[in-house]
Amino acid sequence: MSGILFVNAQPLKNELETHCHALAGQPMSGADVIVQVFADEGVNVLFGYSGGAILPVYDAVFRYNAMHLKDNGDESMPLIVPANEQGAGFMAAGYARASGNVGVAVVTSGPGATNMVTPVRDSMADSIPLVVICGQVASSSIGSDAFQEAPISNIMGACAKHVFLVTDASQLEATLRTAFTLARSGRPGPVVVDVPKDVQNAALSFDGKGELALAGYRSRLHAVEQAVLSDAECAAFFSALMRARRPLIYAGGGVVAASAAPALRAFVDTFGLPVTTTLMGLGAFDTTDPLALHMLGMHGTAYANYAVEDCDFVFTLGARFDDRVAGVPHLFAPRAKFIAQLDIDPAEIGKVKPVQWHHVGPLARALERLTAYGRTHDLRPSLDAWRAQVAQLKATHAMNYDRDSALIQPYAVLQAINRHTDGRAIISTGVGQHQMWAAQYFDFRAPRHWLTSGSMGTMGFGLPAAIGAQFAHRDKLVIDIDGDASIRMNIGELETVTTYALPVKVVVLNNVGDGMVRQWQKLFFKGRFAASDKSLHKKDFVLAAQADGFAWAQRLERKEELEATIAAFLAFEGPAFLEVMIDPDAGVYPMVGPGASYAQMITGDFIASRHAPISQETAASEMF
Amino acid sequence: MNHTLSILLQNEAGALVRVAGLFAARGYNIDTLTVAATLDPAVSRLTLSLQCDDIALTQILQQTRKLVDVLQVAHPATALAA
Repeated sequence: MSGILFVNAQPLKNELETHCHALAGQPMSGADVIVQVFADEGVNVLFGYSGGAILPVYDAVFRYNAMHLKDNGDESMPLIVPANEQGAGFMAAGYARASGNVGVAVVTSGPGATNMVTPVRDSMADSIPLVVICGQVASSSIGSDAFQEAPISNIMGACAKHVFLVTDASQLEATLRTAFTLARSGRPGPVVVDVPKDVQNAALSFDGKGELALAGYRSRLHAVEQAVLSDAECAAFFSALMRARRPLIYAGGGVVAASAAPALRAFVDTFGLPVTTTLMGLGAFDTTDPLALHMLGMHGTAYANYAVEDCDFVFTLGARFDDRVAGVPHLFAPRAKFIAQLDIDPAEIGKVKPVQWHHVGPLARALERLTAYGRTHDLRPSLDAWRAQVAQLKATHAMNYDRDSALIQPYAVLQAINRHTDGRAIISTGVGQHQMWAAQYFDFRAPRHWLTSGSMGTMGFGLPAAIGAQFAHRDKLVIDIDGDASIRMNIGELETVTTYALPVKVVVLNNVGDGMVRQWQKLFFKGRFAASDKSLHKKDFVLAAQADGFAWAQRLERKEELEATIAAFLAFEGPAFLEVMIDPDAGVYPMVGPGASYAQMITGDFIASRHAPISQETAASEMF
Repeated sequence: MNHTLSILLQNEAGALVRVAGLFAARGYNIDTLTVAATLDPAVSRLTLSLQCDDIALTQILQQTRKLVDVLQVAHPATALAA
């Protein structure tokens, strides 16, 4: 019985540091080695779909779980099965985003692996740590157009942080362990390990230690991780900050990835700079704080974008001036005399916008160093006037919408949910208008509560990500805010929610079509709604949810029932599904058009604008 | 202007594809490319030339250094000038 070879990860951790692994020298199959490395790495849930080329690993997982039942009878490494491998990838990503741990997905060769391409690319673009194991046809068959063969190392090589094709079974164990190191170190990202079936079946001896050398990667990583801000660098930073009248912090997803939110809090408490975050940075700084400006950018709050226009100093933390923030880089923060940038990735410094000061290294340590330096030298910028100006911006240009409309406004739905959750629920989304409304109208008091496909913008992300997050936090309230078009992309995962009895709450804001596409078609294509209208679609979402086992599934169509319905929906103990028929013409405002500067921001009919927007004449075909 | 880069990389399956793929994905056109063994059989030297301005060159050097298989990226002209 090879199952007896497995040992739980937790007791081993200490042992690993001083002794050799308790299983060192044990004979194991390649598949057993994979599962034992998972256990050693602390993996407590797997997401994946079976198939011929991964069967040995699935069998090893089955045997491992049979031998390692927890006291309550649960499996210690449950394997969660989605409707489609893409769902498994986004579940692993949702788990990783919500927990900060590496998410693990295991799929078969060919279509199993190619269905995983989108979550891998999505995780790369948002710097999310994943390890994805793909079965592959036997080594001897590679390149023969075998059944369910695809060139995964080629395909994933272009999408992932790194991909390994394990051609030498003796390297499997070290490769697996290295994959976890790569995924979580430096700028995190997805690592794919393609394992031919003969390697899974190979008779190996377990070492219990060892990684691949990767001399280049490790030396560069070491240099970045050891980088320390010198006194001269701190002095230069504070010299500029003390001259600034209107300094602003621009914080991105890097703050979340680096667990640097406490260090950011301490910096702000010491020096009093207001903070705006990117879409990925939501939660890096408590959005309910008086100094929080919420999100900036294309659909940022008007007050955040005006603060960017007004500021004379920008402190960029783990953010990268992407096109949804700095659509026109030279017009971003046009009055800033000094831009400082902290990042873990040297390639992000000066990539889009030149900066006057930068440091490449771990964010938390750099922030702590700056805070300590400023305290030691008693450097406290006087920002009373600027803080008053920021408070005024927040009051004057607050988010708002048509409160008198007879139709249900999506913003009102989100505000009603937010009154219950108070910034403490985990919120995932699809992509489109509902995603931007959720970003704008929810509060986030801490990191890892906001799960959204930021860079890739993958519709269908919300539901599987919520499932993954619920596995990371079994006791937390997890809500998928979705759109009618986005949820269709991975609607098969509704059944996954009920199969595993997850108390996930699913909200579909139904505006009968691709709302964001329609918004752009209204603005830039004279209202020709090519392929974005879904009024002929027949799906009854409530019946669909009921068919998939949702005991609570309702449609909200009347404004006066909003509060009571949402209260009942959130109070339900199990999986619950709420479809809300919203005003189909509700738009996302503010909006900084593609290729436009913040000065050209449109605030819509209900948010006060500082000035009439400068008219914008651009060729629509050039914009994205 | 014309730049020549010298890249040392681990002689792993797919390493060449990853370097070439990075240049393609980021829109840099490779003019010439030579790959040769070094004294260490585990290490290959890849020499390539391309046309780009200095800002693009800095970015491509940094992006190439993010490839896990890459041991070292040198731009001999910069080294000579310095």
